[in-house]
Amino acid sequence: MTKRLGDIVRKISRPLYSNSRLVNYYWQRTKRNKLAIFGLAFIIFLVLLAVVGPFFTLDPTLVNFEEKNLPPVGFAIEQSIYNIETDEFTTTKVSGNWKHPLGTDSKGRDMLAMLISGARVSLLVGLIATGIAIILGTIIGVLSAYLGGWADNTLMRFTDVMMTFPFFLLLVLIVFIFGPSLAIIVLAIGLTGWTGAARLIRSEGLSLRTREFVTAAKAMGASDNRVVFRHLIPNVISLIIVMATLAIPGVILAEAALSFIGLGDPTVPSWGIILESGQHSLNTAWWVAVEPGIMIFLTVLAFNFLGDGLRDAFDPKSNI
Amino acid sequence: MGKSWLRDYVIKRLIYSVIIAWGILTVTFVLVRVGPNSPADRYLANIAAGGHDVTQVVAAIEARYGVDKPIWEQYADYMGNLFRGNWGWSFSTSMPVVELIKKHWIYSFQLILLSSLFAALLGILIGIYSAVKQYTKADYTFTLLSFIGISIPNFWLGVMLILIFSVQLGLFKTYYDTTLPLFSLENLKALVLPVLTLGTGMLAGYVRYTRSAMLDNLRKAFVTTARAKGLPERTVIGKHVFRNALLPLVTIMLFDLGSIVFGGAYLTEIIFGIPGLGQISFKAIFANDYPVVIAVTLIGTFIVLLVNLLADITYTYLDPRIRYD
Repeated sequence: MTKRLGDIVRKISRPLYSNSRLVNYYWQRTKRNKLAIFGLAFIIFLVLLAVVGPFFTLDPTLVNFEEKNLPPVGFAIEQSIYNIETDEFTTTKVSGNWKHPLGTDSKGRDMLAMLISGARVSLLVGLIATGIAIILGTIIGVLSAYLGGWADNTLMRFTDVMMTFPFFLLLVLIVFIFGPSLAIIVLAIGLTGWTGAARLIRSEGLSLRTREFVTAAKAMGASDNRVVFRHLIPNVISLIIVMATLAIPGVILAEAALSFIGLGDPTVPSWGIILESGQHSLNTAWWVAVEPGIMIFLTVLAFNFLGDGLRDAFDPKSNI
Repeated sequence: MGKSWLRDYVIKRLIYSVIIAWGILTVTFVLVRVGPNSPADRYLANIAAGGHDVTQVVAAIEARYGVDKPIWEQYADYMGNLFRGNWGWSFSTSMPVVELIKKHWIYSFQLILLSSLFAALLGILIGIYSAVKQYTKADYTFTLLSFIGISIPNFWLGVMLILIFSVQLGLFKTYYDTTLPLFSLENLKALVLPVLTLGTGMLAGYVRYTRSAMLDNLRKAFVTTARAKGLPERTVIGKHVFRNALLPLVTIMLFDLGSIVFGGAYLTEIIFGIPGLGQISFKAIFANDYPVVIAVTLIGTFIVLLVNLLADITYTYLDPRIRYD
């Protein structure tokens, strides 16, 4: 199974490794876009942070009520503290310290550690759900274009149905019905987010199908299998890369939004879950809502910059 | 060329929409049936939580929801009820779902309408300016800003606006006041932050679409001709370029309705406590009020379907070159 999967990946990504001059050409074009490079650098930084970060931070689940609501370094707030012995509230000035550089939440958990473990969750959700959506979209798009006829008709009508559903409302319904676990959320996003990809790949596939090299391959007796994996998919691989890059921010936003309305997985501290908890303590600890929001924003921005740069590099005609 | 092709087209398009509507209802039915918690289970959980005897109610509920019937009969009932306008009973609010929606839709409508107006007017103006001044500092600034606009999570922006303008500066209330009359200045003021929350992402998208649609047309030969004729630049941009850019622009704006606007409105209503459809669906989720959650999703979907249908027919009427098949 794994060997077969590896075979398929090697086949469809052939233009990427067998033609280094082409790849180099696209890299040179992408490099000209400073924002795309900034985005790529941030994404690499974030991935490193998510992979090795948790080994260097405090335990993100460690609750310590003596250090609750500590502001980030450089900020100070007035905090009322209840004194049991005198039965009085005393107001003291609390300022951030370097033990908790980004402060702590209402349970005294370290924000930096929570944000870094949240990066793991959000990136994993983004990558896996996008992977499912893109693979599904590619299969449906290629099948539709290659088979034509009633198969094409049925698949495209089903795509139309799924496209008519407002994306977020459908997600809410699915997660509501099947329950908020991370696996359900990832599956829900993956199984509903493929429609755009399917349509684009179908239209690209339709024009490729009539090209001479496909006719030539068929005339030489190539099997359907070979035509699809050797000629059709490799020719849309650039489209797939661009679509995937531009789909990831949408997925990260969708997961955060679901968490924000209480449909997130409460056992996994994603950025959305932290943000949701911070929304209730705006008056006492504003940073708990601000910091995860900034992380989501920067990550989404970075993927959008990179995706836009890649699209420009692969297809200079489009300028959205 | 008579108008009979248009009539044929409208009929064809209507049939097609009915098929899509049937598909939407079927997908929803399958989702609910496949789901681990049937409506009856959810209802029972509530009964049990209320301290009542569960076993007594089981048979009654199964009959009420028709769960005891064979699956194809349930399917037929479900379809029939929806078409007859019987969208179920919302037990958390003790009224028919249709009544509940009639009471609340206007709040969603006003939010979406105002946000769309704000985003479309400003977005188109900035987009045109950006395209005309392509590769200038202003263009780069607007492009960067629009990237920021589409990347800001709209629910986070809402929370930040409350934090800055309501909590810190005290300019607005932190919560939407539902007692205000709809057509009043106070209501408009109460909607400033919600409209900014929902409108910013839309605005950023519209700036990008407009700029791109304008640039596509600016390079066409007829623009050069118009300029060569000695037409003033205002006329060239306003009449020749913009009008040609408008059709693809409206198409892509309508596409945003389902993919961005409804989701954004849902979240915005929750943040500001606006009692629209998003808010009632949100409350229904925590009350396990099944029919309401399904109804809100279906309404959003049918609006998208209807808007697409109307848009397609309008385009075909306006631009006879367009033929769908």
